[in-house]
Amino acid sequence: MLKRVRILFFIFLLSALFSCKRNEVRQIPISDFFKNPEKGFFRISPDGKYVSYLKSYKGRQNLFIQSLADGKETMATSFTDYSVRDYSWTYNNQVIFSQDIISDDEYKMYALDVPAMKTRNILSLQKGRIRLLNNRDKKEPDMVMVSMNKRDPANFDIYKLNVKTGELRSYLVNPGNLTEWFPDDDGKIRLVKASDGVDETVLYRSDDNAPFKPIIKNNFKDRVEPIAFTGVKNYFYALSNVNRDKTALVEIDAETGKEEKVILGCDKADINRVDYSENKHRLEMATCDEAKPKKHFLNADIERIYNEFSSQLKGSEVIIVSRDSAEDKFVLKSYTDRNPGTYYLYEKSTGKLTRLGDINTSMKVEELCAMKPISFKSRDGLVINGYLTLPLGSKTTNLPVVVMPHDGPWRSRDTWGYSDEVQFLANRGYAVFQVNYRGSTGYGKAFYSAGLKQAGGKIQDDITDGVNWLISEKIANPKKVAIFGGGFGGFSALYGVSFHPGLYNCAVVQYGLINFFTYIKDVPPYFKSRLQMIYEMVGNPETDAEQLRAISPVFHTDKIKAPLLIFQGAKDESANISELNQFVRELKKQNVPVTYYLKQNERKVFRNEHNRMEMYTEIEKFLDNNMRVNH
Amino acid sequence: MKEEKSVYGKSFSLIIAFLILISVVFIIALFVTYNLTSNYVEGEFESKKTEVLEQTIKPYNDFFNNRVPEITFYQGYLDSASAVKYSDSVFNDYPFVKRIVFYEIQVGSQHNDYNVKNALSIGIQAIYEYRSKNGVVITSNKRRPSDYVDFKLMANKLDNFVAVADTSREPTQDEKFKTFYDIQPEKISYLNIPRREEVMRYRELQKQGPGTSVYKQNMLTFILDQYALKVKNSHPELYQDVSIRPVVYDPIDNESNNITTEAPLPVAFSEYKLYFSSPKGYLTAEVNRRFMPIGAIVLLIYSFLVLIGWLIYRNLSINLKLFKLQYDFINNFTHEFKTPISVIKIAGSNLRGDSELSERQRKQYGKILDEEADKLNDLMNKLLSFTQLENKSIRIKKEDIVLDDFVKSYLDTFRIKYPDFKLEYRIYGIIDFYTDPVLLGSIFQNLIENAYKYSNPKQRELFINIRLEKRHIIFSFKDKGIGIAKEEITHIFKKFYRIENQYNQNGSVGLGLAFCKELANFMNGEIEVKSKINTGSEFIVTLPYESAVYN
Repeated sequence: MLKRVRILFFIFLLSALFSCKRNEVRQIPISDFFKNPEKGFFRISPDGKYVSYLKSYKGRQNLFIQSLADGKETMATSFTDYSVRDYSWTYNNQVIFSQDIISDDEYKMYALDVPAMKTRNILSLQKGRIRLLNNRDKKEPDMVMVSMNKRDPANFDIYKLNVKTGELRSYLVNPGNLTEWFPDDDGKIRLVKASDGVDETVLYRSDDNAPFKPIIKNNFKDRVEPIAFTGVKNYFYALSNVNRDKTALVEIDAETGKEEKVILGCDKADINRVDYSENKHRLEMATCDEAKPKKHFLNADIERIYNEFSSQLKGSEVIIVSRDSAEDKFVLKSYTDRNPGTYYLYEKSTGKLTRLGDINTSMKVEELCAMKPISFKSRDGLVINGYLTLPLGSKTTNLPVVVMPHDGPWRSRDTWGYSDEVQFLANRGYAVFQVNYRGSTGYGKAFYSAGLKQAGGKIQDDITDGVNWLISEKIANPKKVAIFGGGFGGFSALYGVSFHPGLYNCAVVQYGLINFFTYIKDVPPYFKSRLQMIYEMVGNPETDAEQLRAISPVFHTDKIKAPLLIFQGAKDESANISELNQFVRELKKQNVPVTYYLKQNERKVFRNEHNRMEMYTEIEKFLDNNMRVNH
Repeated sequence: MKEEKSVYGKSFSLIIAFLILISVVFIIALFVTYNLTSNYVEGEFESKKTEVLEQTIKPYNDFFNNRVPEITFYQGYLDSASAVKYSDSVFNDYPFVKRIVFYEIQVGSQHNDYNVKNALSIGIQAIYEYRSKNGVVITSNKRRPSDYVDFKLMANKLDNFVAVADTSREPTQDEKFKTFYDIQPEKISYLNIPRREEVMRYRELQKQGPGTSVYKQNMLTFILDQYALKVKNSHPELYQDVSIRPVVYDPIDNESNNITTEAPLPVAFSEYKLYFSSPKGYLTAEVNRRFMPIGAIVLLIYSFLVLIGWLIYRNLSINLKLFKLQYDFINNFTHEFKTPISVIKIAGSNLRGDSELSERQRKQYGKILDEEADKLNDLMNKLLSFTQLENKSIRIKKEDIVLDDFVKSYLDTFRIKYPDFKLEYRIYGIIDFYTDPVLLGSIFQNLIENAYKYSNPKQRELFINIRLEKRHIIFSFKDKGIGIAKEEITHIFKKFYRIENQYNQNGSVGLGLAFCKELANFMNGEIEVKSKINTGSEFIVTLPYESAVYN
């Protein structure tokens, strides 16, 4: 009898094992998700003879040049310390790129002479930042425009840099309040933006010798983003939400600052991208990020081109990322929620579409998970949008959920597209929930303003309501909800486990914001102009000290009980490491199971591939341990 | 008998020696353990004070390690309103904080109420003093001269730090402690630790002099009251009294009946110490309390040893008694055998000596020889069956007997044997009994024999009564004999026990009644006796009733 029971039991066990195996989705290795992009940032040279791209070499992004004539690939740089950053072609077929030497706090800028394949260091700056502003000046093809806080760490000045000689010439000295510069098609700056912290002013000058005069002044909630001069009078194209909720594409008279014409507006979302051809001086396309990006063509030629190659790339989002001066050869990037990106070369004259490379060849569409736009009503009736990515498989209810609140309210939002973190978690069997809580950008001014001073308040409520909505829709297993975020998302995670202890099993925090006082205090000097704005967003420490104290996790270690996993780069400028150390020490004293990784030579996002792999391995293990209990 | 006595005496003295030895060990053990306990307690009196100290200053350490550095979390943004809330929570949690002085400090500004004359131009913007009264924080603006002294000290420390600090790294714990803390007796000052970025700005200020930017710092001075520190006597069994006393406190104790010790308090209370004292008797009581279980264990071991000693002694004496009994038995038995043997011997020698035997003589001798041989046989049988019975080697052979016939046959035999024996019987309500007739017969024979033997020749009477009572059959043998004295009654069923009197001079080994008792027990029954001296005895045998019908 007993023997028979045992045999039956084994048969049952075996069949259970096999049935498990059958349902199991292949676990894609972590290294496939988070390795450095294999090939990316494809650009075409102005003369159309070369294609350049970044490719991983010894774990760092290095610059490669491919000749289109003979298909020969050349490795232009061989950096093994830090990757090549934002590179671009000058009008004169030179490649400019920079490197952020994090360990020395140094920025370096290089120029590459492509035909000769010679790299020169043209600029270095200790403890500062260099940004390339404009690189296509037909009249002076060797000159590029850079912004740099060399003179004063708090102020960026504009310089003209000769990439051949390395000669640096001051072009525009920042009186202290300029934050943005808009070079025109001739490489001159006629439009700038100034900020006193809260209010932004657009200034205009008719030429280099005339003084700037303010033309538009608005609160930081409003936005006027000059794009280019139209060529008619002194009108310029701009994105503006002055006197309207959703940002629209308009024409503004630079002399008066008056809005002359609305070219395009979307009723569901802000217009967030406008394609403008400097060659042909024309607007081509505008995109609204609704649930998915939506294109509006402003030029029939470009629409025709888009239609042509889109028919060959059905089902993908395609954008033009680079083109030659003749506008015959285009570099396209196609992507979906399940494709991190594929680059193509499109030749208008022949209609030929050539695949250039993939950002990540290890990713297979059928193994990845669809990102579904969702929306729900928060407790005060506001409609909140978000995205839900369910793991593959037939199961759609009672799933373990990872909530991923995004960083920086008032600066960002989650959009539709491929995300390695989301796909990684979905591949591991978690439903991933992203919320564009109030204060997120892209949904109009009212939605954005609704988030002001609501950190730990209504912003957190939106996240909580989202989780409760998932539970009420039976998608989430109420006993298995984790929260995972970086920066402000990390704050939301910590706040969630502190003040809604029953809701979350555990939290993963990357470069988490743990103290709003420090957050405000630590605004680096060159961001000082943002301080007043930050006061309006999160609160003024002079007057709202109590509120800031009430929401800052560092003051509430006693409320946390759930297991925590914390990652931090030691060189993160906005983090106070000793404070974080004390926070962790305090948590350990309270017997909170906390695992803490402090990585030297990393800023916010871990650039080092090894560190990144270790981080996601730990995250996988941590979630596995904490989401399996209470089965 | 002499030899036996000496054996007995030896073992007795051995036992005495053993007892004395373990008693001595017992006393020594008690003494040593008491001394050890006493030393241990005295040692604890010295060592446990750190535990009390730790317990007592735990809230202070908590305050110092957690609540004080919390000020830095505010990054200089602590204002009078939030400082009140902060102070309120401090007063609530840490009653030993008596007052808090809150300084709003500006760095790089010359428009202050009070400026320290150093390169950083650190100035006081405002000073608030908080104290707690009935759980409510009271704010006052009064400034004490000492406030300025504290401020100046901290300002100079900061100024010095800014001048020399290595801004390429975070300050070490040691640097932080030396710069941003100041601990004096009953007073802790703390300045929020500026960020590296700020330190760099401050350094520029030092070099270039005050500009347009003004930076804020917070400084708090906590005035402590050591007497509000709650003494937590975690060892009340050791210390009768623990109190906070000035460092110089040292009372002269004339009778020196107090044991004292002391522990220094941390720097903020360095003018005071924890003073522990206990009267000597208090410690003695503690020693006794701790000694109690140890003493009990020693006593237990001692009792155990004594018990073992007694058990050995008892075994020895039982063996001795058995030995004596066997000795008696052999004595008796030899005596018992001697009579018939000597009679046979006489008869034998007579037979040999007499040249011619008359018919009467021959019969006489024959009868004598026959009788004595029977006696011997009887004795042997008794002894054999008794040993068998004792070893439980007899098997019961049960059969149905008709009681009337059974009793009658025995009575007839005895009537023939003893013509002067008057025997009567009566059976109530039973006809048959399922039992072993041989065993039951032995009981009958022995009891009838005894009744005859222990009666006056003129009054040899026995009345046998058999009746049924519930599930038992009861045989009563009532005689009008000499009776048994009360003190003898308990012994008569013992082996080899004989009442010394005229009636058992000839041929009795003291086995008869013991045999009966063994038999009765063997048959799951019992035997008892009621007797009155000179009136008669009644032996009652109770056996479980079994009938052939049931079996």
